[in-house]
Amino acid sequence: MFYIHHTTCISPQQTFPNVDIAVLHPPIDGQLRVIEPPYTGIPSGVLRRMSRSVRMGVGAALPLLNGVAAPDGIIIGTANAGMEECFDFLKQIVEYNEGLLTPGNFVQSTPNAIAAQLGMLSGNKGYNITHVHLGLAFENAVTDASMLIQQYPENSYLLGAVDDISSYNYTLNLLAGWYKNAHTKAQNFYDTNSPGSIAGEGVAMFMVNGNAANALAQVKAFCSSHTTEANAVEEQLKNFLNKNLAEGEKIDVLLSGENGDNRLSKFYTACEELIPEEALVLRFKHLCGEYPTASAVALWLACYVLQNKPLPAHIIKKNFTVGQFKNLLIYNCYKGVQHSFMLVKA
Amino acid sequence: MSRIFVTGMGLISALGDNVVQNRTALSAGKCGITNLELFLSKYTGILPCGEIKIPTETLRSRLNTHEQGITRTSLLALHAFNEATLDAALTPSQLTSPDTALIGSSTVGGMCLTDELYQDAQRGEQGSEYINSYDCASVTMYLQQRFKMTGVINTINTACSSSANAIMYGARLIKSGLARRAIVGGVDSLTKFTINGFNALHILSPVTCSPFDDGRKGLNLGEGAAFIILEKEEDCINKKKYAELTGYCNSNDAYHPSSLSDTGDGPYLAMKGALETAQLSPANIGFINAHGTGTENNDLVESRAMIRLFETPPSFASTKSNVGHTLGAAGAIEAVYSILNLYHQEIYAGLNCKVRIPETGLMPLNEYKKVSLHHVMSNSFGFGGNCTSLVFSKS
Repeated sequence: MFYIHHTTCISPQQTFPNVDIAVLHPPIDGQLRVIEPPYTGIPSGVLRRMSRSVRMGVGAALPLLNGVAAPDGIIIGTANAGMEECFDFLKQIVEYNEGLLTPGNFVQSTPNAIAAQLGMLSGNKGYNITHVHLGLAFENAVTDASMLIQQYPENSYLLGAVDDISSYNYTLNLLAGWYKNAHTKAQNFYDTNSPGSIAGEGVAMFMVNGNAANALAQVKAFCSSHTTEANAVEEQLKNFLNKNLAEGEKIDVLLSGENGDNRLSKFYTACEELIPEEALVLRFKHLCGEYPTASAVALWLACYVLQNKPLPAHIIKKNFTVGQFKNLLIYNCYKGVQHSFMLVKA
Repeated sequence: MSRIFVTGMGLISALGDNVVQNRTALSAGKCGITNLELFLSKYTGILPCGEIKIPTETLRSRLNTHEQGITRTSLLALHAFNEATLDAALTPSQLTSPDTALIGSSTVGGMCLTDELYQDAQRGEQGSEYINSYDCASVTMYLQQRFKMTGVINTINTACSSSANAIMYGARLIKSGLARRAIVGGVDSLTKFTINGFNALHILSPVTCSPFDDGRKGLNLGEGAAFIILEKEEDCINKKKYAELTGYCNSNDAYHPSSLSDTGDGPYLAMKGALETAQLSPANIGFINAHGTGTENNDLVESRAMIRLFETPPSFASTKSNVGHTLGAAGAIEAVYSILNLYHQEIYAGLNCKVRIPETGLMPLNEYKKVSLHHVMSNSFGFGGNCTSLVFSKS
C-alpha cells in the first residue's frame, strides 16, 4: 500500500521530540493526557489562538512538513477534535440564552481545523481532508492515503490522527460506561475484569509515499469492519492473513489494542488465538489510553518496534524475543463495534 | 478504469421531501426559506431558514424508527437514504454486501440536540438516550446498523464541502476497486449551534438571501439530506442512469479559517482540477451550480475564481436561494440538482439577484430554461479553506 518515511507522536508518554518510553507515565484521575511539548515551530500569536487539539496536531506535524519536500496533500483522522471549543460555544448559547456571542469557539470547533491549519501554515493548496468516522477515522485516512498513492505513486502525503480529552467528551463517555472509575492504576488496567477503559488522547503523524528506499516501515494491507460478533472478526482476520501473507510467511508481532474492558476481551482473545503461538504480543493502550484514533499511536509504535529499538517490559504481554521482526499485525477494536487490522512490514 | 454512473437519488429539503417535489419546486422558481416555525430557539418566528416543515416525531413514525437515541439528523439521512436506495433498486443483499460502501457526512451530526447535549455534558445522574448520538459519525453508524452494511463505511467532515467530498471519496473507492457501488451523501439539521455560530460571525442574512447580488446580506441556514448511488458502468446495464460522475477535485485555499482568499486559489484549483479529472476544457461546462452562499466574501471570491478559470463563465446560479445553506448536506443536495439539470436538460433560476457585483459584472441565471446540457459543475467551499468541485456529465 505505502511506505512510512517519517513519523512523530505526541502522547501521554515521552514521545516528542525525543522518544523515551522506558519509564511509564501513569494516568492521573483516570485520564492519560498528553505531555505537551514546547511548540517552538508555531508563531506565538498563532499558537495563542489555537485550540488544544489543533496545537497538538500542528505541533506534531510541523517537523514533518519542515523537513522534506512539501507533501501533495494532508489527510487527517479525528473523532473529537474541536469538542472542547464546541462545548464552550454551546455553553455560551445556553448561558447567554442565544444572545450576543463571540464566534472564536465556533470557528475553532470544526474538526477540519487541524488539516486546515496545517494547509494554511505550510501554504499547502493540495488535497486536504478530515475523516471523522469515530473509531475508524484514522483507518479511513489510511485508506484515503493508500488510494492516492496507488493513483499517484510519486506523491507524498501527510497522514495523521488527533484526538484530545475534553471535559465534555470525558463526561459523556463516562456516563455511557466507557471508562473505569478514576482510581484504576495503569499496572492492573488490563486485568481488572470489569467494563470500561481509561480515557486517553494523542497525536501521530506520518509522511507516506510509494517509495520503498529508506522507509521506516511499510503498511502492507489493511481492513476494517463494523460488527458486534467475535466470530465475524475472527473470519475477517483469517481471510486477511490468507490474502496478505505470502506462502511461508507468518505474523511475528501482534500489537493488540486491548483496553481492559472485559466486554471487548472476546475480540482480542479471538485474534490472539489466530496468530502463531510463539509470536510476540504487545499492548499499547496503557501508553495512550482509549480514544477513537488510538490505532494511529499503534502505527507509530509499530514503526518503533520494526526499527528494532529496545522494547520496554511494560508493553510486552507474552513471548519476548529479541530479533528481526518482519510482519507486525495491529488489531484494534473501538467500543465493540468498529474493528481494524493493519499489516505492517519491516 | 470503469466509468461511474448515478443510478439513484434521494433528497429531503425545505423544497420537499423527495426528488420529484424538489424538481417541481425548483422549476417553478419556489423558495423554501421562511421564518423558523418548528425549531425552538430565540429566533423562532423571526429568522429566515430553509426549514423542513415536518416535525421530528412525524419523521420518526413515518420512517418506522423505534430505536432509542435517534436524532433528527439521522432521521433526515434515513429519509434520503431510503429514497435513493429504492430509486436505484438496490436489493437487500446488495445493501449488506461487502462491496457496497457507505460514505456519509455531516457538520453537526447529533448536536442538533443542543440542550440535551448541554445537560449530558454537565453530567446529570445518568445520561440521556442520546448519550452515544452526538458525534458526526453517529448518523452513518445508524444507517450501517439499520441496514447491516458490511462494506467500507466512512464519515467526512470538511465543513460546508463535506458531502461533495463524500461523493468524491465514494467515486475513488470504486475506481480503486475497494467498492463496487457506493451510497454517498450528507445531512445536517438546523441547530442552535450553527444558527448562533453563523450569527456571531455576522454572516446570517436577516432577509431571504440573494446570492451574487451586490446588496447581499449573508446566508440563510437550511436543513436537509441527500444521498446518491454510484455504480460502475458494467453494473448499470438495464438500469436507469441519471448522469455520469466525470470530474472531482479537492483543494485547499490555505488562507483563513473562515473566509476565502481574495484571489480564490482554493475555488480556482478545485474547479480546474475537476475539469482535469473529467478531461474537459472550461468551454465544455454548460452550467455551474455555484456555492453561492450569499455572503460578501464567498460570492465575490467565487465570481473572481470563475472568471479566472472560464474567462466568460457559463450560466450559473445558486440553489441556496431556494433551500438555504444546508452545510454538510449542501454538496450532496446540489449534486442532485446538478444531475436533475442534466437528466431533464433544464436549468433553474437563482433567486433574488437584482444588481450585479460591479467588480465582476456576473449575473446568475434568473429564469427557468430548457437547454442542451452535456456537463454541469457543482461547487462546494467550506471553512478551513476546504474547496471541492464535482463535474457531472450527461449519460
